[in-house]
Amino acid sequence: MGKTKTPKAEAPLSDAASEAPSEGSTDKKNVASDRPLNLIGKPFRRVDGRAKVTGQTKFADDLHFPRTVHMKLVRSTVPHAEIVSIDTTEAAGMPGVLGFLTGDDMPNTFGILPVSQDEHALCVGKVRFVGDPVVAVAALTEDQAHEAALKVKVEYNDLTTIASVEQAASTPEPRIHDYGDTGNIHKQVSMSFGDLDAGFAEADEIFEDIYYFEGNTHLPMEQHASIAFTEDDGRVTIYSSTQTPHYLHRSLAKVLELPASRIRVIACPNGGGFGGKSDPFNHEICAAKMALKLGRPVKIALTREEVFYCHRGRHPVLMKTRTGFKKDGRMTAQHLQTALDGGAYGSYGVASTYYTGALQTVTYDLPKYRFDSIRAFTNKPPCGPKRGHGTPQPRAAFETHLDKAAHRLGIDPADIRLNNLVPPDSVTANYLKVGSIGLGDCIEAVVKGSGWRERYGKLPEGRGLGLACGSYLCGAGLPIYWNFMPQSGVQIKLDRSGGVAVFCGETEIGQGSDSVLAACVAEILGIDLQDIRLCVADTDLTPVDLGSYSSRVTLMVGNAAVQAAERAREIIAKAAGEKLDVPPSRLAFSEHRVFDIEDDERSMSFVEAVQAAEAKFGTLGTTGSYIPPRSPGRYRGAGVGPSPAYSYSAAVVEVEVDPQTGIYQVEHVWMAHDVGKCINPALVMGQIEGSVYMGLGEAMMEEQVFRRLPKKRSNALVHKHPSLLEYKSPTFHEMPPVTSYIIEDPDPNGPFGAKEVGQGPLLPMPPAVANAIFDAVGVRVDQVPIGPHHVLEALERKAKGKEGRVGPNKFPDYDFGVPLNVPTVAEGGDGKATNQETAGVRKGIGTMKDREEAVGKGGQ
Amino acid sequence: MTILLPGTLTDAYRMLSDDPDVTPVAGGTDLFAHWPENRVKQSTTYLDLSGLAELRSMRWTKSELVLGALTTYWDVVTDARVAAEFPNLVTAARQVGAVQIQARGTWAGNIVNASPAADGVPVLLAYDATVRLGSRDGVEDIPLDEFYLDYKKMRRRPDQLVTEIRIPRRTYQRAWFEKVGPRKSQAITKVGVAVTVAGETWRIAANSVAPTVCRCPALERYCAAVAGAKGQPLTSPSDLLPAIRSDVSPIDDIRSTAEYREQVLARILFHALNDAGV
Repeated sequence: MGKTKTPKAEAPLSDAASEAPSEGSTDKKNVASDRPLNLIGKPFRRVDGRAKVTGQTKFADDLHFPRTVHMKLVRSTVPHAEIVSIDTTEAAGMPGVLGFLTGDDMPNTFGILPVSQDEHALCVGKVRFVGDPVVAVAALTEDQAHEAALKVKVEYNDLTTIASVEQAASTPEPRIHDYGDTGNIHKQVSMSFGDLDAGFAEADEIFEDIYYFEGNTHLPMEQHASIAFTEDDGRVTIYSSTQTPHYLHRSLAKVLELPASRIRVIACPNGGGFGGKSDPFNHEICAAKMALKLGRPVKIALTREEVFYCHRGRHPVLMKTRTGFKKDGRMTAQHLQTALDGGAYGSYGVASTYYTGALQTVTYDLPKYRFDSIRAFTNKPPCGPKRGHGTPQPRAAFETHLDKAAHRLGIDPADIRLNNLVPPDSVTANYLKVGSIGLGDCIEAVVKGSGWRERYGKLPEGRGLGLACGSYLCGAGLPIYWNFMPQSGVQIKLDRSGGVAVFCGETEIGQGSDSVLAACVAEILGIDLQDIRLCVADTDLTPVDLGSYSSRVTLMVGNAAVQAAERAREIIAKAAGEKLDVPPSRLAFSEHRVFDIEDDERSMSFVEAVQAAEAKFGTLGTTGSYIPPRSPGRYRGAGVGPSPAYSYSAAVVEVEVDPQTGIYQVEHVWMAHDVGKCINPALVMGQIEGSVYMGLGEAMMEEQVFRRLPKKRSNALVHKHPSLLEYKSPTFHEMPPVTSYIIEDPDPNGPFGAKEVGQGPLLPMPPAVANAIFDAVGVRVDQVPIGPHHVLEALERKAKGKEGRVGPNKFPDYDFGVPLNVPTVAEGGDGKATNQETAGVRKGIGTMKDREEAVGKGGQ
Repeated sequence: MTILLPGTLTDAYRMLSDDPDVTPVAGGTDLFAHWPENRVKQSTTYLDLSGLAELRSMRWTKSELVLGALTTYWDVVTDARVAAEFPNLVTAARQVGAVQIQARGTWAGNIVNASPAADGVPVLLAYDATVRLGSRDGVEDIPLDEFYLDYKKMRRRPDQLVTEIRIPRRTYQRAWFEKVGPRKSQAITKVGVAVTVAGETWRIAANSVAPTVCRCPALERYCAAVAGAKGQPLTSPSDLLPAIRSDVSPIDDIRSTAEYREQVLARILFHALNDAGV
């Protein structure tokens, strides 16, 4: 029996909820982690598993209420145009048609970020991409709504279409949006941490590489669906497949012009999200508005084609990485430039822009670092967050760049990484606080597992190994809108039945968040998962949790759950201790019993203990909250990148390349992931393997790309293949055996030491595949996805005596504005910029202050 | 949408000659792939062949393997005798779509759908298959090699139905088929090629490299000449390019590029020939 720690001084129960939320690490969770663990760390069946495999889970599209009607959206057929007229006359006469909505019905804008409130529920005035919704039609059946939608006539006046970042930069007019940093550039960022020139001057060698990462989409199995209905007291409720019910709640209040207290959002379990259901969407708002208009339940289920238009997936990013190296492989400075093709709306794009630079510093020590970026608006479906949000692209660029540097310097690619590791408990050049870092152990695990030392560089022609690493957030340090409230809240209700009800706004999207929440509570109270009733993701009934994004749930919900459960345990222990005549500190909770650790004869059942507490204190309930620790960065833009903890991954990939066709097969993947501490190893393994699969798809074949229709067919810019027929993702045949290694380097900020696993293990995959192809056939494909034709082209070039490389050769000379200068900690910096007032400004267009006054500060 | 349900083959012929716009359907794996978005298909009248026992059989004669029009890929995959005598048919059938498609899709449907990327057609071409068309006016046999006229155009009158595919039984020294797709299953071909060698007779047919699946006569002559030591020995894949360029006309499309298709066709042929000791 391990030692226990004395709980905090007794506090009146009524004060529990009003206690200040815990900021960062609390001693409460150390209480939990010092006890022997019964459940945490052992593989257990996920709490929603049986319902999912037996079909009992109700996804949004499974819901149906009496008198439900169906809605379809009429979407733009042109990429950029003014709406001249909308004619619903013929459609209105179609069988079953009940009503229409247009942009005029919902004039307020919305958007996930306060600085990018640029969407209308239905287009007002103009359309910005093929698929932009213009009219909503409701009818008695889905087929009738579909037929009617086809009869709606929209007349357009075409505008110039912007198809690429370069075109956006050179075509300031017409503007796709009337806001943004300049012309069609939505966002420009430039920041310099430390004396970069000095850093490069110290280098023995400076290497520069250009890399392109194509856009791709989430491809969840479940297509988005929503059903909304009103209650007679003027309330509206919506069930939706969303990862972020809280943000949808806010957007609905804004667009519907209703008090948030009259709107209820319930997130159904998502059939996969991966970031694709993190924005509030047009169809959700239209369903609620239509329900209010018709007074009947309104349902919309998107087709697969529409899901491709909703998108919000991986940004296409062009990158230039310039790094100074010492002869021994140590890095002295890095200058990274990125250009993001954002698509037609802001979405998370401002954050994505910063994320293409923010996390480059948390794996390998970069003493000086400069990052420049622009995000352009283009007439394509909006890009946003996909698993890894903005970081897989620069990670792929960095890890292939490092592989090349290792070869140029004559250092083993594993060693160049091991020699550059960020030390634990340190602050990076861009002021990110790194706590635990198990990356070294991750690299060692996959190097050993794959036989790297014996095999790398020595396999027969056509066979190769590649190594790459990655890191990801365990929740964004700051909420999406500025506030000082908890990012996650949990309430626990207990009563004489012995049942424990746990209320939390968290959203199960398949990642296992329900199981994590239940396990944290079950562990601390010594009960079974089956004794816990979860009530989640319901804005009327559950405390706010910001949603399933940025890999925040295990850490933030987990910490809030630990706090709420510890408070419940304290109350029960007080009452039980009195009954058993044992000091509460000597009580253990395990196997449905509460007992004296020094004399286990003195015990009572958990139910009896709860009854004792209910008798002593009255109705029982506790709360827990979580706010991440404050990050040391104080410069503009310091809000993107901080996290309570960072997870780390390393992968070795083995490929077999057929030099005749360029076709390659990934034969094996060894993936190690530093998860801090497993809550449930079975779920951790599942997330690792799922990330390998998704990363492999991005590396090998997935691409969200566009083409021009022929002139005679409108010349529109259209999605090349908005269907599962041609948007290729790997099948069983492409999925290699995966050997997973779980590395546990507990982080003091994580519940029980846990960190994230949902996104991180994707990051090493694309660069590891690229590096393996180099080892196999000696050519570099500096772009993702790597198609057989790229490999073949690179081989052909090499055979002709040219550079055996395919990829972009040029990074355009974009204007990123004046860099923000932030001295590093080593230089005596305090986290602030020395030129906050003048930085970020494009040459000759005034100061930041002037511009803020000119464009307004945005915000909700 | 209207679906006609003929009781017999004679009924089917009558229905077809009564209405030239009727579309015969068997497995439906191509015709209904874009259902229900494709508006034209919703107002089409279909003639459902699936109940016609006359079209069902796969049988052997002394000189031919006869695939009835309703023979599916899966019928072929599971037939050991076909695997022994016409292995290319099995190899190709296993690479069409996924198992579900293989179980429903028919060889005859693959022919009349007339996709340039049809995976069933190159192997049939390389085996010198003949298409038997039936109608109220009687039957007509057309060599598959002469069946296609242009992209999606073929020598089938609207009142005619493919009733059989007839494959002559010969002794082949070699037969192989290679499909290059974006992934290993559920993928439409970027480039595919079927080859058979019977004595000195070469048959080479390719898909996804021209408006129709096509025989490659220049390649056949070239290979036959090299094999018969009448020509220059092959030294590299590019030796094959002149013949390839005279036979096919690949394009850049959403699945691949013209250059990749040409290069890969040359390379897979070259290495297959090398492996075969040519």
